[in-house]
Amino acid sequence: MFRLTQLVTLADRAARDDLAAALRAVGRRARSLLVEPTLEGSFNGGDLLVHASFNAAGDRAAFELEAQALLGRPATASIDSVSYSSEADGREPGLRDGIYRVLLLSIEPGTDRDTVARFEAELLAMPRHIAAIRNWRLSRVEQAAGARAWTHVWEQEFADAGGLLDAYMLHPYHWAHIDRWFDPECPERIVDARLCHSFCRVDRSAISSGG
Amino acid sequence: MIDEIVAAPGAGRALLDDYLARYAPGARARGMVLEQVLVAPPVWLDDQSNTLTIRWSLANAGAWWGMRAVSGADSAVAAWWAEVDARAISRRRSFATAPEAIVRLCDV
Repeated sequence: MFRLTQLVTLADRAARDDLAAALRAVGRRARSLLVEPTLEGSFNGGDLLVHASFNAAGDRAAFELEAQALLGRPATASIDSVSYSSEADGREPGLRDGIYRVLLLSIEPGTDRDTVARFEAELLAMPRHIAAIRNWRLSRVEQAAGARAWTHVWEQEFADAGGLLDAYMLHPYHWAHIDRWFDPECPERIVDARLCHSFCRVDRSAISSGG
Repeated sequence: MIDEIVAAPGAGRALLDDYLARYAPGARARGMVLEQVLVAPPVWLDDQSNTLTIRWSLANAGAWWGMRAVSGADSAVAAWWAEVDARAISRRRSFATAPEAIVRLCDV
């Protein structure tokens, strides 16, 4: 599966709904497509969250080109974009009316492979400790654009916003253990301080439904 | 929250003085409460390392994120730790609680 996630920050937010409709229209070759306004609480997360998957790399490239034409200036202020192809895991593939969240992060150049592998393993253990994470996918980025050379995409789904803002954020596995990879005060930090944290509503799972 | 710093040989006393004078005021302003400072061994060494253990507390996980948001956006905090790393053999920051609090903390 060939995936693409884009966080679009608009120059004019009044154009958001028209752009969303236009993006949905050019995503006809997508196996799954999510184009939704981001929710309050997103951080560097843009105004529109675009998440698409394709059966063929060529279809993804074609969508990117068409989306690029729609999202050119002056409508768009900036886009953070990642392409990747890993598979998902989860415990609620039939999730309905939930929350999709994506984190774009960039690991510092020069970080050794064993450390990166430990970081990835610990992130992937989060759902074992935090039951509110219903579906998830951690991916290494193949192509990135935007504020940083994003290296990883960490996607999760929750039954509701409380699952993300309370259960996920306030669980000690997160703040007292995982965050040391991100925290400039901790010697283990390997992640650049610039992050994109973005979330939106989903009618059905965007991770488990082939998305 | 526990900082454990193994100072460079002979540097322990000055490093702790700087920690308390330069780092601690900002940490307090971010909501951290200084609970305890320990020096091991309990004698200042001029040719070996002292280990400095500084224990802080925070009211709850929300207070923790509040502290984290401020420190993470303050380049002076990162610069402070870069300086400490240059004056230390190693250091570790960990987050701990009493065992009887674990179930409550995880029930979110």
